[in-house]
Amino acid sequence: METLSLLAGGFAVALTPLNIALLLLGCFSGTLIGALPGLGPVNGVAILIPLTFAFGFDATSSLILLSSVYFGAMYGGRISSILLNIPGDEPAVMTTLDGYPMAQQGRAADALAISGVASFFGATVAVIGLTLFAPVLARAAIHFGPADYFALYVLAFITIGGIAGVDPRKTLISALLGLMIATIGLDPISGIPRYTFENYHIYDGVDPIVALVGLFALSEILMLLEKAAVDRAKPIGLDSWLPDVRTIWFTRWAILRGSVVGFVAGVLPGAGASLGSVMAYSMEKQTSDKDGTFGKGDPRGVAAPEAGNNAASGGALIPMLSLGVPGSGTTAVMLAMLISLNVQPGPLLFERQPDLVWGLVASLYMANVALLVLNLPMIGLFSRLMIVPTWALMPIVAAVSFVGVFSISNSGFDLQLMIAFGVLGYLLRKLDVSLVPLVLGLLLGGDMERNLRRAMSISDGDWGVLIASPISVTLYILTMAFLGLSIWLARRDFKRTQARNVEG
Amino acid sequence: MTVRLAGVAIFMIAALYTWYGRDYTASFGDVLGPSVFPVIVGIPAMILSASLVVFPIGQVQWPDPPHMLRQVAALAILLGYALLLRDLGFPLATFGLILGIGIVLGGAPLRALILAAIFAPALWALFDQILGLPLAFLGRWFD
Repeated sequence: METLSLLAGGFAVALTPLNIALLLLGCFSGTLIGALPGLGPVNGVAILIPLTFAFGFDATSSLILLSSVYFGAMYGGRISSILLNIPGDEPAVMTTLDGYPMAQQGRAADALAISGVASFFGATVAVIGLTLFAPVLARAAIHFGPADYFALYVLAFITIGGIAGVDPRKTLISALLGLMIATIGLDPISGIPRYTFENYHIYDGVDPIVALVGLFALSEILMLLEKAAVDRAKPIGLDSWLPDVRTIWFTRWAILRGSVVGFVAGVLPGAGASLGSVMAYSMEKQTSDKDGTFGKGDPRGVAAPEAGNNAASGGALIPMLSLGVPGSGTTAVMLAMLISLNVQPGPLLFERQPDLVWGLVASLYMANVALLVLNLPMIGLFSRLMIVPTWALMPIVAAVSFVGVFSISNSGFDLQLMIAFGVLGYLLRKLDVSLVPLVLGLLLGGDMERNLRRAMSISDGDWGVLIASPISVTLYILTMAFLGLSIWLARRDFKRTQARNVEG
Repeated sequence: MTVRLAGVAIFMIAALYTWYGRDYTASFGDVLGPSVFPVIVGIPAMILSASLVVFPIGQVQWPDPPHMLRQVAALAILLGYALLLRDLGFPLATFGLILGIGIVLGGAPLRALILAAIFAPALWALFDQILGLPLAFLGRWFD
């Protein structure tokens, strides 16, 4: 097939000694930057872009450096998600659900290894998907209209309700709070300020990183302060510094399913790695959570979103390259990079500049391989972070978060906002309300509203447009099915726990 | 009890949110306008939080007063950092932050001091020098 030879050509271009050196350098520095709470892949790539221009590399080498930093930073974000329960970036939020409990049970090495392996397989599936389907998908994805996107977001939110927490009301309230926060700022369509109360600092809305770091890192400090130092649940240390291969093998189907779901989610223009990881996690939970182990350290709960978000990152290249529509912050940065290197995204890009496109695909894949090779040995190093005493670790985390956020935004207001989010996160955690739906509401709320309003604009106020297309109808049917399944499962679990309580 | 209180608090926030939301109008733009989505979000939030008041679930355990005092102290240190950052300059302010939070978390004062003395300049160097993100070394009070 012609695309295979093009891909091979891409690899040939990418595999020079200089590029390999850049690859390793990028992966390593990316991992370090991504592991620092408060930075993350987008900022990591943004910080390093000026460096690439300073060096004056050619297009392929620059792309390789930047993709390896990007994937390195994504992996670094997983490290802080799993070891510290602080999501390094938005897609990492799902990883904290099972990754952190695994670390608390002494299985940090397993969690990190699964993250690496699943990410690698997710990227592989994405590359295969790209090779086989790219031109076709580019054309098919155009059929998704705003009403279909709205239906997709509704589906995502309803399935989240089935994931986190015991009481669905609390989960929904959390999601609604997130949506409320998402509307703060200048309305992107009409330009009027909403809920800003004359405070111009917040005209741009709430920065997701500020919310993430506040909700997770600062609330963690407040949680730790509840008990005296000697009474705190100590990190259980590590069972071993080497991951257990059998655990990884156990997750193989989760990885496969997560990759496929993630890739499909990524291909949709305007949807990105966050949606990919959410859908992968919720699908996996619906499929394999028979004993209620998800959320308490089930390795499949780490494998699925990890595979999903890497596959989605790969899939997101299709709309980015063929339509110029970035699906997430990181693809937006990549798009900016490509444009600055004189690459014009568009439907004919695959035909006009195949070398560059396939060079990019090859470099992304190589970054994933390099990460797998580099990071498995480093797991022992990173897991040792668990042994650092809390009184030393948390101040450093707080300092890094504050300095990180401030160095990017230069806004003291953002720091104060972060503290407010810390208090909010603490209160919600005390009330047994999961933070994940809130974060997802904050992240996806803007897109959800925009698509609703676009759909209504097109139909001139007719609410029927929301169920007009076959895609929307299918998605709503799926939503109902999920809702029904969750309710049925919740009832069944309730009866089971009732029965257990009677027997026990 | 506290879940009920939280329900009331969230209800009031949602009610205010919906109230303000209804007022947002744009003279041009799309058909729906900036007010519809807030109302769509606010009303279910009000209903759900009201249901939490009527049918609360779960117990909340608050920490005892000495530890609550520590939490307040930590928040004060964090807020002080946010407000004094530009006045003190980064290394100094970060030194205070690490020292303060370290002591509040129960670390020995001398060890916290050493930790802060090492990491505050190290972090400044990492961000300002290595990553190229400018951070003031001396603050406004020293100009």
